Amino acid sequence: MSPSLEEPSRPKAVVELKGVEKRFAAFTALRRMDLTIREGEFFTLLGPSGCGKTTTLRLIAGFDLPSEGQILIAGQDVSNIPAHLRPVHTVFQNYALFPHMTVLDNVAFPLTVRRIGRAERLERARAALDLVQMGSFAARKPSQLSGGQQQRVALARALVNEPRVLLLDEPLGALDLKLRKEMQAELKAMQRRLGITFVFVTHDQEEALSMSDRIALMKSGEIVQLDTPTGLYDRPANAYVADFIGETNMIPARVISQEGDVTLVEAMGTRLRVSGNHGHVAGAEVQMAIRPERVSDDMRETENSAEGVLADVEFIGTDLRMVYRMTDGSRVVMRQQNSGRAVPQLGETRRLGFRQQDLRLFGR
Amino acid sequence: MRRERREQLQTGLMLAPSVLLLALFILLPLCVVFAYSFALRDPYGAVLPGFTLDNYRELVQGVYLRVLMNSFSLAAWTTGLCLLIGYPVAYFIAFKAGRAAPALLLLLLIPFWINFLIRISAWVVLLGRGGLINKALVFSGVIDEPIGMLGTVGATLVGMVYAFLPMAVFPIYAALTPIDRRLMEAGADLGAGPAETFARVTLPLSLPGVLAAALFVFVPSMGVFAIPVLLGGGKDIILGNLIVQLFLEFRNIPVGAAVSILLLGFSGLGILLYMRALRRVEAMK
Repeated sequence: MSPSLEEPSRPKAVVELKGVEKRFAAFTALRRMDLTIREGEFFTLLGPSGCGKTTTLRLIAGFDLPSEGQILIAGQDVSNIPAHLRPVHTVFQNYALFPHMTVLDNVAFPLTVRRIGRAERLERARAALDLVQMGSFAARKPSQLSGGQQQRVALARALVNEPRVLLLDEPLGALDLKLRKEMQAELKAMQRRLGITFVFVTHDQEEALSMSDRIALMKSGEIVQLDTPTGLYDRPANAYVADFIGETNMIPARVISQEGDVTLVEAMGTRLRVSGNHGHVAGAEVQMAIRPERVSDDMRETENSAEGVLADVEFIGTDLRMVYRMTDGSRVVMRQQNSGRAVPQLGETRRLGFRQQDLRLFGR
Repeated sequence: MRRERREQLQTGLMLAPSVLLLALFILLPLCVVFAYSFALRDPYGAVLPGFTLDNYRELVQGVYLRVLMNSFSLAAWTTGLCLLIGYPVAYFIAFKAGRAAPALLLLLLIPFWINFLIRISAWVVLLGRGGLINKALVFSGVIDEPIGMLGTVGATLVGMVYAFLPMAVFPIYAALTPIDRRLMEAGADLGAGPAETFARVTLPLSLPGVLAAALFVFVPSMGVFAIPVLLGGGKDIILGNLIVQLFLEFRNIPVGAAVSILLLGFSGLGILLYMRALRRVEAMK
């Protein structure tokens, strides 16, 4: 999370969507979207396939035009300006390198079409290739490169002309896990160093959490929550967000009463205190959410507890993932660091603690 | 070892019918024509066995060179026009027609179900003094009197382009469809306008198809005889009707055979040039 977000003088908007709607025949891909992306931030559009995140990116790039609303880039209304006149460049999902050109010619392409002289063009293209550590591949054809290398060339090509905004459409989707992790770190570092605004599209929530300054979580053409990664993880706006981001225990609960800033609920066969007035009336059936790593078997920290029988243990290396069946039949996953303590036996009954500030309530 | 031999035998047996067909109906007649081109003839046109290069020597005369030039220029014009018209058609079908594409391709094919001569005769009717086109032009007041279109180079070219256009559209279409549209989007995204994206991305990627189209139009155009006769009045002698005349009217089979071999040589040369150009284009990838 960038510290600048907390400062009173916020960086100015570089991309603005105002009431943007996109319809394809009978299908509405995007409904009345308002969105402000700030100068220099790493902004991520996150969501399942078909949620409208790629549509949003294509509208910003200019490949599609909005059915309604306005798109502003750097303060200029670009709603009806074609893609080639917009100060944004895209890194495509399949890289879209020109197969008939060398790596160097690919990277020099944005400069060639801007009629920049040969000497300067080649110098800048080489510098961009060096930036992504592909300098020694300049004379190759894209077909002679691996997926990861093509990815780097595509990045160099999109950066060579120093766009105001770089759009990335699931650029790491085709890479294997190890390479993807490497590229995530590299992309993030590069974005910080260059200070260019990145608009990143992904369906991988882990990727989004680890790279972004801010994330817009989307669902069926709408933004469900726009927040920092920690905000999205710790303060999900609703059950959908809580469920999409990370792992969450969703436990059925019933509201008993509201006592000032604490809600009293009945769940897992016992009574629990939940921080915050969630505005639910007594007797309301709700969902109670808690992250597996916030469930603990250390009772010193909490007044909330419930009993459960250990039904399953999964060993993940750094962590242990334990599934408990509670007295009312609900399932609670607890994630604990592998500290070397003895693993409890299956079938053992244990008392689990739930800190009241870690519990969240959502309407059903 | 035995299994390998059996597989070889199977492959051979499966290939046999087509090899036999090619040998019997293409290679053998070709050999006969080739042999005739070195043969002698008696004053009445009968072919006499023997060996002479006179038939080929006769071809270097001015008359024949002019025929060759006529053929070449007609084929070149036809090829140029077919590419010029065929490329936009192929582009439209490949990228803009959407779900109508298969229907449009079928429309291009339908004329092939009708005999070639009948289709060209239809153009004779259309282009004639009392033809539909003249009537329409007079009726709409563009012209006062029917104009003589038949028997002109223009009419020949209309017929040629009509006949060979599909030969140009199909290979270009086949080269355009596999092009990833994102490459064009990438071109636009990186700052190239539609014309520049076409010139720098789409056209170079479709060049193999353009080359194939040029070959498919040029080679058969060199050998046509019906279209220039029916629509152009046969005023300019070209290789195709020269061969017909030599064989059927002048009964000079050895020289006719020599002209045929010459035509074959030019076609072969065209294919050779195409292969070389294609290799160079493919090497760009």
